[in-house]
Amino acid sequence: MAAGLASALVLAPEVFAGTTVLWRVAWLPEWGLDFALRLDGLGLLFTILILGIGVLIVLYAAYYLPKTDDLHRFYISLLGFAGGMLGIVLAENIVLMVVFWEVTSLTSFLLIAYKYQEVEARISARMALAVTGGGGLALLAGVLLLGSVAGSFDFSVIEARAGDVRADPLYPVILILFLLGAFTKSAQFPFHFWLPHAMAAPTPVSAYLHSATMVKAGVFLLARMYPVLAGTDLWFVIVSTVGAITFVYGAYVALLKHDLKGLLAYSTVSHLGLITLLFGLNTPLAAVAAVFHIVNHAIFKASLFMAAGIIDHETGTRDMRRMGGLFYSMPRTAVLAILAAGSMAGVPLLNGFLSKEMFFTAAVAHPGFDGANLILPVVATIGGMFAVAYSVRFVWDVFFGQPPQDMPKTPHEPPGWMRLPVEILVALVLFVGFLPQFSVGPLLTVAAEAVLPGAVPEIKLAIWHGFNLPLAMTVVAFGLGVFQFTRRHKLYALQERYTWRLTSPVAFERFYRGATRVSTSVMALVDSRSLQRNLVLFFSFVLVLGVWAWWTTGRAAGWVSTLTGPLPVGEVDLASAFAFAVLLFGAVSTVVYRRNRVMAVIFMSVTGAVVSLAFLRFHAPDLALTQLSVEVVTIVLLLMCLRYLPETPVAQSTGSRRLRDGVLATAAGVGVSAMAYAMLTRPYETIAGYHMANAKPGGGGTNVVNVILVDFRGYDTLGEIVVLAMAALGLHALLSGTRMQGPPTVALAKADRYPIMLAELMRPLLPLSLAVAVYIFLRGHNLPGGGFIAGLVAAVALMLQYVAGGVDFASERLRLNYVRLLGVGLGIATLTGVASFWFGASFLTSTHGYVYPPVIDKFELASAMAFDLGVFLVVIGTVLLAMTEIAALRRGETTAPAGAPAKDRG
Amino acid sequence: MEVLVSVALGVLTATGVYLILRPTTFSVVLGLTLLSYAVNALIFFGSRLNAGAPPLSVAGLSNQTDPLPQALVLTAIVIGFGMTAYLLVVALKAKAESGTDHVDAGETR
Amino acid sequence: MMAHLPFLPVLIPLVTAVVLLIATKADIAVKRSISALSLGLLVTAAAGQVLVSDDGIVRVYRLGDWPAPYGIVLVLDRLAALMVVLTSVLAMPVFLAATSGTDERGLHFHAFLQFQLMGLNGAFLTGDLFNLFVFFEILLLASYGLLVHGGGLQRARAGIAYVVLNLSGSALFLIALGLLYGFLGTLNMADFGVALQAVKPEDQGVVAVMCALLVTVFLLKAAVLPIGFWLPHVYTAATLPVAALFVIMTKVGIYALLRVVTIGLLAAPFTAGLLQPWLTWLALGTIVLGATGMLASTSLGAVVANLVLVSGGTLLLAVAEPGAGSIAAALYYLVQTTLVTAALLLLADVLRRQRGEAEDRLVAGPRLQSTTVAGLFFLFFGVAACGAPPLSGFIGKIMVMQAMEGSAHPALIWTALIVSGFVAALVLARAASVVFWEPGAPDGTDKRDVSLVPASGLMLALGLLTASIIAVSVWAAPVASYARAAAEQMLARDAYVSAVIGDPAAVQRERRP
Repeated sequence: MAAGLASALVLAPEVFAGTTVLWRVAWLPEWGLDFALRLDGLGLLFTILILGIGVLIVLYAAYYLPKTDDLHRFYISLLGFAGGMLGIVLAENIVLMVVFWEVTSLTSFLLIAYKYQEVEARISARMALAVTGGGGLALLAGVLLLGSVAGSFDFSVIEARAGDVRADPLYPVILILFLLGAFTKSAQFPFHFWLPHAMAAPTPVSAYLHSATMVKAGVFLLARMYPVLAGTDLWFVIVSTVGAITFVYGAYVALLKHDLKGLLAYSTVSHLGLITLLFGLNTPLAAVAAVFHIVNHAIFKASLFMAAGIIDHETGTRDMRRMGGLFYSMPRTAVLAILAAGSMAGVPLLNGFLSKEMFFTAAVAHPGFDGANLILPVVATIGGMFAVAYSVRFVWDVFFGQPPQDMPKTPHEPPGWMRLPVEILVALVLFVGFLPQFSVGPLLTVAAEAVLPGAVPEIKLAIWHGFNLPLAMTVVAFGLGVFQFTRRHKLYALQERYTWRLTSPVAFERFYRGATRVSTSVMALVDSRSLQRNLVLFFSFVLVLGVWAWWTTGRAAGWVSTLTGPLPVGEVDLASAFAFAVLLFGAVSTVVYRRNRVMAVIFMSVTGAVVSLAFLRFHAPDLALTQLSVEVVTIVLLLMCLRYLPETPVAQSTGSRRLRDGVLATAAGVGVSAMAYAMLTRPYETIAGYHMANAKPGGGGTNVVNVILVDFRGYDTLGEIVVLAMAALGLHALLSGTRMQGPPTVALAKADRYPIMLAELMRPLLPLSLAVAVYIFLRGHNLPGGGFIAGLVAAVALMLQYVAGGVDFASERLRLNYVRLLGVGLGIATLTGVASFWFGASFLTSTHGYVYPPVIDKFELASAMAFDLGVFLVVIGTVLLAMTEIAALRRGETTAPAGAPAKDRG
Repeated sequence: MEVLVSVALGVLTATGVYLILRPTTFSVVLGLTLLSYAVNALIFFGSRLNAGAPPLSVAGLSNQTDPLPQALVLTAIVIGFGMTAYLLVVALKAKAESGTDHVDAGETR
Repeated sequence: MMAHLPFLPVLIPLVTAVVLLIATKADIAVKRSISALSLGLLVTAAAGQVLVSDDGIVRVYRLGDWPAPYGIVLVLDRLAALMVVLTSVLAMPVFLAATSGTDERGLHFHAFLQFQLMGLNGAFLTGDLFNLFVFFEILLLASYGLLVHGGGLQRARAGIAYVVLNLSGSALFLIALGLLYGFLGTLNMADFGVALQAVKPEDQGVVAVMCALLVTVFLLKAAVLPIGFWLPHVYTAATLPVAALFVIMTKVGIYALLRVVTIGLLAAPFTAGLLQPWLTWLALGTIVLGATGMLASTSLGAVVANLVLVSGGTLLLAVAEPGAGSIAAALYYLVQTTLVTAALLLLADVLRRQRGEAEDRLVAGPRLQSTTVAGLFFLFFGVAACGAPPLSGFIGKIMVMQAMEGSAHPALIWTALIVSGFVAALVLARAASVVFWEPGAPDGTDKRDVSLVPASGLMLALGLLTASIIAVSVWAAPVASYARAAAEQMLARDAYVSAVIGDPAAVQRERRP
């Protein structure tokens, strides 16, 4: 920090010469975010404050914090925070300023929660983060808007276009967003409540955050944006009103606080209100006074916080009702604190007096308030009065009066090093107070030049301006303030009676919990976690969007006529009508008999059979074959699973729910019908001619469907067998180790359980059906068939062996690791594809030629055949793995003695 | 004929959707199967109804059916089969874990 | 091999999965080594794709050597390369985290992981809509397998809901594809756009319905408001490394939407603005839903799942108003939000391992063993997740905000983005406060499973993600300019079409019947 201060001072001469030092590293220039820094008078002033006081804080903290603490965390957070503050005051790119702005929100969160074991610290930290971080988000929006209005995120450019910005229709929005940022950070009413609770932080943190930094970021923003955003009536109304309210309210509450740090916290709120009010007045003199008071407040408030910390440290309490007479036990600290408090009250010859006089002068001289309108001077005087009152109270209650008997520790002077930072600051209080022009004059002038767009008024920093109205106001404020102090106990009584607890951290936590509760009930309402509900939403959503698309787009051609195409409609033949009737019966019966599961499966398979027939009827033998064989396997699996499901399904849904589902289902059906009819009655243009023409010359097969599957779109087929293999793997992973109770079965002798007749019949059939499978496989490329159907046929044949001989019988004979079989099948298919790499062709490029095996005569061998072999193996592997796994579910209870370890199945 | 086919597809869809919305896992499996019949047939009839011979690339044949929808349906059937088998087993697993065949597996609402 | 570069991100995981299946009896250490080796290759190939694709040329890989639109082609452009590299980079930490024991809690974890990557990469690279369906099924089935990995009632229950909902989605996808072919006679994406332009006025109504159905399929995957309720339940049910991988799954939906909109729907006037009025509102609704869900969440995993919803909504904003600026912003946002939310989910896994029965729930529990490290990770990821500066979340947010300035409802969108970020900050701050700061459970209630604790793979995974988040924050400009170039390439439809199918007029079409 000291090094940073030194380097800032090295650049200082340039700033005093009137130049602005710019430094830039591109970060995300296209989107306005650049690491661009500037050092002008305002930045320099703040840099000196941040780093100067920062050094003193570190020195102080070294003696304040117990050595046992996690000091790394403290110093890292503090340094990060100081870095963030510096970034704010030095940013040229205003988005970068927001970046640093939020860095301070975050690091202050960590600092306030330093004593995280205490619930108060945790909640207060979150509250501070919520308020200042939230304000930062508003600021972000404001910055982005401002950047788009001004055409740049560079402050120099924005400053140059200030007039355009103020004339822009978006100006009020931008202003309000910026002010939200500034007011939250600077704890302006009604966002002030986070600050007093941030006192949960250790005192060095409070001393830093609430004097020179954090809260000053807000008023810095006002100063920085003063040339751009100020000067309008809107600015005046909002900023000065909020500032005035905060100024008086903070001062009033400060008087009521018994906690030393609480008093100082509200005094900070009040002084920040004062600074805000000054910026809001829109006059150059007031702006200069604001900048001056920023400096003065930082100096005396830091020293007061540190003094409070010393008192806390040495007495063990911060409650002013429990202390007194400390002047006698720690006189040097007392003198320091009294001087600083005097500055806070605005006692002449101390720095606080100077800026307060400037404030009073600005209040009196404001053009908006002529002699008749005294509201501003009156507000100023009232605020000053409370300031005097709480300052006097601070001094009196702590250092004078009777020392109470029950102080937790016997107070004595702190170590000299701990007091040194306070001494340095109080020396500054006096230095500035006595020699204002010499000490801060030049710095204030360059800072004011950065704030004020036009000519800077001549700044006359003098202790004595003669007898005038401001001086009279000071006198009145002092008189009333002391009077107020003597009557303070009445106020306390009033306060006790009407305690306003809305701003406590507990209230924040209650608010947060409330939000959580509301969200939870909202979520419970909209998200019932029920699959049926989600499905209803999904189907309804599809229908709504579909109908909407039709409604908006179909208007041109007439809604209904878009659904009917120009093609002539064909005659219905008797067979089709019959098939239709069967399908209708099957589908509806499946629904009706869904609770009688075996019946439902039968009706479903009837429906499926009609679909297969339809495929056949419309010249798709491959499809019919596939559909049929898939159907068989599916039904077997379904029936195998049936016995593990409860005999009585769960309760029926209510009638209204069934009605709702029925309406939805009907609507879906109507939608599909309409779209299907629209499609069937329209001619279309297709790319399929290419496939017909190239199947034989390019793909080496005459069955175009099969050539598409293994060649034109072989990649789809590869994906399809990957899906199959994964389904098998998935059910293997799911069921492995799972045992289920089936329905009670009568114990049967092994011989009886597997009908011998069937077994005897099946065994010779196996080679035969495998031969059929091979035949289907081989002819697939030219005539309907292929690897998939062959695989299913073989799998069904093997499946029948299971049914006939039992799982154990079959698996003992097969001795196959199905997972590995799946791997091999997929591997063959993949390798076939990769093989074409060696010919310089892309994946799955086929090649074919003729071989002349003895039996089949001329036979065309395509590389696609190897691919089909992979398909074949995957299909077998999948079906058999599924069967054995489902069958094995019960093996534990039927064949193996109870408790036998599960067989290792890879 | 077009009307007949369209209505058939609609009926399959409606019964399928209705069953999918039932609370038992087994009904859902049935429903998805019926829905997949509808979907497969819809894709298939992308080649329209009045086309002629099977799509064999043999000299002399003309006016063949569009082969592409058939290939797509084959892929869809196989994928549907894999998915059905898997869903069935997930349902079994949920039954094994929860003891109920409700689709929400006994979650309290 | 360079010629096959577009295909490698699909081939590498496929071959690996095959090897893992054949070596199914091998020791878990062997399987991990195979998987690790393959992931290394995959990341290399993906990085190669990014480097190669950055010259702006749309590369086409013809599978089976058949030209588009007749055969299936893979299309490698900047967008595809970006998605593939993101997937591959995400796979590394997921894999590492899973090696801390998750992969031993069931069968075939590594095979499913590889299949999942194959499905994802295949979906990002394919130029064919039906093939997109096939790869959707691959990645879905792999995700089913991964979701239920580890067993237990909660996963089985979430599994049923997830599978049934997605099967319904798949059925809808097939209906849309059937109608697509039935009306337009093609399946290739580029040709889809070309065919849309030729649709006669009397056919526009039904074709629009087909497009709406297609979009709805992707909206389901992207977990958008009325059909996105499944997401938090699935993410919280899965093991957390798997949930971290799932973060990319919603992005597949967004990717597909972007692809179909830019290549297809924008091609023809009657589909160009088809769903725009809906999408903005759905996106806003999704953001609100996610923010509400975040407040209602009782575990860190649930908070992050809802963050994923919010980011999905944010990304959908770009789909609603597709322009170079909005898509570029969305792509940058997509990359960073994927990394950040995945990182938070893996961090939640650290909590689950170290906090015994408290798991990652937002209640006071035993003090973490690695409090400082985990706390720093939380701070870092939390800052990025709620869009606070200076990390990538902030950059992504200001990019999206700027891109949305000219949209139809800028004030609403900005408010939604800012408020959702604010809520995220509040919720994450409270989570941190409870998990890291609240006093631990009294002795004796801490029943942590000590065998799970040494989790060097998990920590390494978090380190990797931290490094990648820092990288996309510091080098935001190159990433953003790549995103911008990708967006411009997506909107340059003619270049895409001529690269994929050549001269559209030369495509052989025959009228049927």
